[in-house]
Amino acid sequence: MTAIGWSFVEVAARLLERGEREAVLGDLLEAGESGLQGVLDVFGLAVRRQLGLWKDWRPWLASFGMALPGSLLLMGFSLSVSQTYQRLIHPTIFKATGLTVGPGFTLFLCNVFLLVGWSWTGGFVMGSISRRTVRVSAIISFLPCVFCLARFRVESLSRFCLLLFLLPAVWGVCQGLQIAQIKMRSALILAAAITLLTIPTWTSKGSWIPNWALSWPAWYLVAMAWRSEARKERERWRTN
Amino acid sequence: MLGEFEYLMITAAAGLGDKAYGAAIREEIEHTTGRNCSIGALYTTIERLEKKGLLTTWMGEATPERGGRAKRMVRVTPKGVKAAKDFYDVVIRVSRGASWVANRTGSTS
Repeated sequence: MTAIGWSFVEVAARLLERGEREAVLGDLLEAGESGLQGVLDVFGLAVRRQLGLWKDWRPWLASFGMALPGSLLLMGFSLSVSQTYQRLIHPTIFKATGLTVGPGFTLFLCNVFLLVGWSWTGGFVMGSISRRTVRVSAIISFLPCVFCLARFRVESLSRFCLLLFLLPAVWGVCQGLQIAQIKMRSALILAAAITLLTIPTWTSKGSWIPNWALSWPAWYLVAMAWRSEARKERERWRTN
Repeated sequence: MLGEFEYLMITAAAGLGDKAYGAAIREEIEHTTGRNCSIGALYTTIERLEKKGLLTTWMGEATPERGGRAKRMVRVTPKGVKAAKDFYDVVIRVSRGASWVANRTGSTS
């Protein structure tokens, strides 16, 4: 195998997990296959591995229950928060009145916290329930973003206002990948806070669909934490 | 029951004994069957059989011809031996009446 061919194989092998990559690269070297054949072999294995993961329900839930609808709804909510900011805060700063803010400031703050909460919990669930397919989930969540960014037509706002949710969501994904689960008390506080923050929107018709589509990850975290604690309790009871 | 490729894998690994690892099993299967065995099929089958408890694997030593990379060693478990034996018995039983079996004078000529 030529050096260039081998470097392509090594790049392709990054799609595999570390232990498997080691064994597969060694096997390819030992077999003395061509660079092209090596790349095809590695891609074949990576595709099989990825397809194998999708036999489980979790990647489907993360991608099509969370990433796709979540990014679409959070973009809409980011836009709404940006417009509220423009209406309430922006004129205040330029009028140099300093401390006075327009009516509805509390509601605006609630919406900011809600945006952060929804984005973080959504990202956390996406990262924790399907770690190995998180790249695919990320791509799926970016598709509506690209579409909306290309068609954004609000002149008074930057199109990047649509992506306000991105930072807390990425933070949530990283946390989900690292710790997978949060403690019962934290999960409950988070879910209760998110639900409380949605109360002002309960009066508007049709808001319950996006509310629950974005709030379920918080309650999912509660359910997971409760299940984990119940399991620990059972094990403790068994050992005593 | 095992699949055809799973049976080939277990049989090749059992035949190689302590020298059973990815590349050796692949070579053995290709040499014996005359069919191409892709790395993808090999490693996904190894993992599936390991999950079923029919094989155990571990990372072995690295050799210079592998560029200093470790081998994924494979060993067939007693459960794997039994599964392969059951598969073989079924093939023998189901083949008894077949015209291509050596001790039968069939009408295939």
